[in-house]
Amino acid sequence: MLQHFDPNKDYGTPASLSENLVTLEIDGVEISVPEGTSVMRAAALADINIPKLCASDNLDAFGSCRLCAVQIEGRRGLPASCTTPAEQGMKVWTQNDKLAKLRRNIMELYISDHPLDCLTCPANGNCELQDMAGSVGLREVRYGFDGENHLDAPKDTSNPYFTFDASKCIVCSRCVRACSEVQGTFALTIDGRGFDSKVAAGQDEGFLDSECVSCGACVQACPTATLTENSVIEMGQPEHSVVTTCAYCGVGCSFKAEMKGDKLVRMVPYKGGDANHGHSCVKGRFAFGYATHKDRIRAPMIRDSIDQPWKEVSWEEAIGFAAKRLKAIQAEHGRESIGGITSSRCTNEETYLVQKLIRAAFGNNNTDTCARVCHSPTGYGLKQTLGESAGTQTFDSVMKADCVLVIGANPTDAHPVFGSLLRRRLREGASLIVADPRHIDLLDTPHLGDATHLPLRPGSNVAMVNALAHVIVTEGLEDTGFIAKRCEDDAYAKWRAFIQDPRHAPEAVEEVTGVAADKVREAARTYAKAPNAAIYYGLGVTEHSQGSTTVMGIANLALATGNIGRDGVGVNPLRGQNNVQGSCDMGSFPHELPGYQHVADPVARGRFEAAWGVEIDHEPGLRIPNMFDAAIAGHFRALYVQGEDIAQSDPNTQHVEQALRSLDCLIVQDIFLNETAKFAHVLLPGSTFLEKNGTFTNAERRINRVRKVMPPIAGKEDWEVTVALANALDYPMNYAHPSEIMDEIAQLTPSFAGVSYDKLEQQGSLQWPCNDEHPVGSPIMHVESFPIGKAHFAITEFVPTTERANRRFPLLLTTGRILSQYNVGAQTRRTDNQVWHDEDVLEIHPHDAEERGINDNDWLGISSRAGHTVLRARISERMQPGVVYTTFHHPHSGANVITTDNSDWATNCPEYKVTAVQVEKVSQPSDWQKNFHDNHQRQHKFLHEAKPAAE
Amino acid sequence: MSHSEQDRLIQMINQIALNNISAGDESAVAEVVAGHVKKFWSRRMKSQLFDYLGQGGEELHPAARLAGERLQGDAR
Repeated sequence: MLQHFDPNKDYGTPASLSENLVTLEIDGVEISVPEGTSVMRAAALADINIPKLCASDNLDAFGSCRLCAVQIEGRRGLPASCTTPAEQGMKVWTQNDKLAKLRRNIMELYISDHPLDCLTCPANGNCELQDMAGSVGLREVRYGFDGENHLDAPKDTSNPYFTFDASKCIVCSRCVRACSEVQGTFALTIDGRGFDSKVAAGQDEGFLDSECVSCGACVQACPTATLTENSVIEMGQPEHSVVTTCAYCGVGCSFKAEMKGDKLVRMVPYKGGDANHGHSCVKGRFAFGYATHKDRIRAPMIRDSIDQPWKEVSWEEAIGFAAKRLKAIQAEHGRESIGGITSSRCTNEETYLVQKLIRAAFGNNNTDTCARVCHSPTGYGLKQTLGESAGTQTFDSVMKADCVLVIGANPTDAHPVFGSLLRRRLREGASLIVADPRHIDLLDTPHLGDATHLPLRPGSNVAMVNALAHVIVTEGLEDTGFIAKRCEDDAYAKWRAFIQDPRHAPEAVEEVTGVAADKVREAARTYAKAPNAAIYYGLGVTEHSQGSTTVMGIANLALATGNIGRDGVGVNPLRGQNNVQGSCDMGSFPHELPGYQHVADPVARGRFEAAWGVEIDHEPGLRIPNMFDAAIAGHFRALYVQGEDIAQSDPNTQHVEQALRSLDCLIVQDIFLNETAKFAHVLLPGSTFLEKNGTFTNAERRINRVRKVMPPIAGKEDWEVTVALANALDYPMNYAHPSEIMDEIAQLTPSFAGVSYDKLEQQGSLQWPCNDEHPVGSPIMHVESFPIGKAHFAITEFVPTTERANRRFPLLLTTGRILSQYNVGAQTRRTDNQVWHDEDVLEIHPHDAEERGINDNDWLGISSRAGHTVLRARISERMQPGVVYTTFHHPHSGANVITTDNSDWATNCPEYKVTAVQVEKVSQPSDWQKNFHDNHQRQHKFLHEAKPAAE
Repeated sequence: MSHSEQDRLIQMINQIALNNISAGDESAVAEVVAGHVKKFWSRRMKSQLFDYLGQGGEELHPAARLAGERLQGDAR
């Protein structure tokens, strides 16, 4: 009898994927399990729970505690059930007098070197050691407690989120194995032998100073109080939990929010989550304190001009004020003079409502989203080639890949939980090719297969992708069967003629890419010859003036080699924020209604017009950069921004600030006074993901529920605010719950037709397309055919960026992210993640540093054609000479003061990754930074003045 | 129309032309450019392009200019 899988139960050892079943008898119960299943797991599946301490079902069996010993008919001794595979016809007994005595003796030894402070121990109520002592009936410890022991072992409190109390350690190695097997960091080891053996972080330097990345896997694995969250030490054990979805990166991990009333005690990754299978990173696991931070905006505020203090008002007054201004501006400057921006950090339902508000109540298509500045080229490029603006795989698909090509992405920092899965596959033997100007950590991960780095120059992606394709075509490595069957003939013939041209040969582009031709040829062969080859890419592909071309070039590579339509292959954009995919799906772009239906398509538009009861403009609206230009020109006068910080995240800050200052009315809805809000006239308090219901869609098109665990701090969930604004603009919106918004989305969007909250409850999550054809969603896309019938090879001409290094600006700056901070940092800067990264620094190669007399920690002035800022130096060999690197997590760094207006030719996605700069030693902040500081002080004073005087 | 706004539109349409230069002859490139502008540019941006054509459109790439003229023809 096979039991239903319960994600809340620990089955002791991992599941076997074998399709052959074996039948055995455990305590008289007959059970059939896949071959390779351990006796322990087989028993657990039959609800027979064998005592255990060192086993956990996310770790390989280890067989060290011996508590799980069983008796097997015809076998000598008492084998450990965790390391013994179930066999056909086996007869197993899990309980008898002999086993009971053995287990009691084992526990007696453990407890003889363990503190007996159970009543005051933080694990009290959730301690496997305590449970096992109870289970085996331990009643005495004959050895006494006076012998040599570890009871005085010191605590390591260096990590801000958890404590390592060595006195409670039973050396079961679960933490060490979690660090290696689940996370793949190998930061923990068992130091010493026998009685002296102990868990050590790094070279026994403490957790904070070691290479530990604070993913929390060790804390979760610990069966005692040795590794415990500080929040549990402070607050005690949680009393209920709610499954929800992380609001950080595009992996979209499922978590159990473990609560005490409406207080969040801890976030524990949920084993039932199909994106993360119970793993997490430091952000999702620990960095949630921002939700209750003192800086949260707790009441709506208004002001007539940005030089005035804020005034706290009721929701009604704030919404009324905003609506009145929007109406007046439209009356004076026309219907197209206002617009809005949706957020990739908000839910699908919220972004849907904002674009609906703009199209129906504003009466124009001036809606855009922050995906404009990250993955808009993905939407364009994949739609042109594969017919759908989305990645083709599940994350799990990587476990079947034989070759993984990573282009312009840094998964271990930016998508850490996927990064861990990828590392696991590399340890199993998949080969790795990284095309990136920087040496990323993935290249250093322990692996069985080959790892190749193609350290190309920033801005040469198209040349590189074309060179790879050229080798595949000219060396006869194409999958001709796939191409003939699945791809459009004419487009393929044109592309083939184009790519065969010797100007695309690796030798011909060596000067441009800076990568040796033979290395490129070898990489192309490895990718093309692998039975399953998969491409993963990130913003290092999209954020270029040829971002869309590279995306199409990547699709060409996958098509030419037949790496589409099954597990282990595909084209996988790693999305930056939690709901980038969703915000694009929900019709946030100015030219597309939900489900990527063009506004000029009369049939699609007609459906929305009928449902919404309005006429929808058939012309596209303005993109974000066009909005800025139009604002400066004076014909765009008002903007509603939900959950985005364009003043910090968008390029050429001074241009953005000028645009924001030009607006007559800026309405910002956010959880903090972010950089954009400093230019706002209306500030509407936002709600965090913990305070609302909805759904997020991750990078694998997986729609996951977001569930409310605490009330919104200012009384309204974000979607309710948009509803109120629509009603105040005389466009009626009436929803009682986000599930009703999803019902409307499903009714109007063919790829979402089968999605409902009820089905999400049943299935856990759904990957779109989900409709009559795919009632429970589509894990892998394009299996039989493409949405456009046959795939379309695209011509990918390499047009170099106009942003080039010269004598005045001899270095190329490229920007990126790090593990502990998230995007503009508004959330993570308000957590203890600051201990890892409290300022943005400029990474510079020793050669470039020496030429300029620069030492580590020197203040450096960085100048580009757009602006000037000052950062501290970090000398690093991760960069190649001539290339410098920084992050943009801290607003006062002004990283985007330097980035330019250059953008992708097809989508206007900014070229963050290439800026020509000069670097020199300086002694004081830049003028922009001084102004930033003054304005920051002034705007915070305005905020404090908004609060009614204390009585 | 402000200068920077016009400059940006010229830069954008020329960039579209250059990135599709391998689509074929000038007419074929112009077809791609026109299709792109039609699909992605706002009403006002299109009319600003037409205004610039009216002023001579000197800085436009030949294929971009042809695309603009065709779009203008369609709009009439």
